[in-house]
Amino acid sequence: MTTEIGGTPLLARLTRGLGFLALWLILMGPALTDLPIGLIAAAAATWTSTALWPENGKLSASGLVRFLIRFVPQSAVAGVDVARRAFAPRPALSPGFVTYRTSLPPGMARSASCAVMSLQPGKLPVAADADGTLHIHCLDLREPVAEQIAADEAAFCDTLQSGGVHG
Amino acid sequence: MTSLANAFTLVAVGCGALLFLAGTLGLLRFPDTLSRLHALSKADNLGLGLIVLGLLPQAESFAGGLKLVCVWLLAQISAATASQLIAGVLYRRKSRP
Amino acid sequence: MADLFTGAALFILTVTALGLFKVLRSEIAVERMMAVQLLGTGGAAAVLLLGAATSSPAMTDVALLLMLLAAVSCAAFTSGQSSHTADASEQAEDEA
Repeated sequence: MTTEIGGTPLLARLTRGLGFLALWLILMGPALTDLPIGLIAAAAATWTSTALWPENGKLSASGLVRFLIRFVPQSAVAGVDVARRAFAPRPALSPGFVTYRTSLPPGMARSASCAVMSLQPGKLPVAADADGTLHIHCLDLREPVAEQIAADEAAFCDTLQSGGVHG
Repeated sequence: MTSLANAFTLVAVGCGALLFLAGTLGLLRFPDTLSRLHALSKADNLGLGLIVLGLLPQAESFAGGLKLVCVWLLAQISAATASQLIAGVLYRRKSRP
Repeated sequence: MADLFTGAALFILTVTALGLFKVLRSEIAVERMMAVQLLGTGGAAAVLLLGAATSSPAMTDVALLLMLLAAVSCAAFTSGQSSHTADASEQAEDEA
């Protein structure tokens, strides 16, 4: 088992494990008798996460902060946007599909970016082709969707320490 | 100080409840399944977020507040993933001749 | 304050039930899956509010469970669907 995930350095794995243990302690409370179960849970979570995110997936802290500052208000705007359309006397919609060529490699990075995009205003990625073409369902095609997606993806790439994979 | 916190709680919880109403209205009024999925994932999520935000000042301890924030974070992640999965199933079905 | 929390929880439950009614009557299986997601989010919000109204912190655990169950069942539904589309013949897909 260790040979399969040998790509990840021990220190990185330990940091992840401590993070999961901290999450467990927050959720379940710091009772000493429960601690063994927490340790097992943290170990299992670490093993799963190394299987899902095997490349030494380091995140840049400053990029992450910039990303959160951008993302949290955007996600609120998304909710208000939907609410505005739902309360309108006639739902102001022109739904349809947009295709966008992503530069992110297939795998965890692309799935994460899609998941983030589905919380952005008016956009919901529904499928990805092998060549990196994303099919995105939009609530309103009258908005400059492609520019918004490009800006979102640039912000997302900032969080990957390698600066994303451009190509 | 407490009255200020209470007022904040009232406003946030009220806005959250309103967003749940918006999500249901969207479900009832939007024309196609994917648009309804937008309403479900975005409006209801912000609603839950606002309610968590509103309940934070009422939390009995710091640990309780931290736990509430974790609930919200997990909700965000799971809602984003779930709406992705549902949309993917729908798209694969539709694109089939 | 507790009464207001209970009121808000009841309001959210009512609204969620309305949405559930609409989604569950749909013919499309995917829309019925959306009901699970709706119940997860709306139920979690209502349970959190009720927990605050009765000041019982254990309710947070209930909310957490509701939400995570919704997420897991969505994932199970999807993986069931994709293995179904992979093996099944075209006719089976059409009638589904």
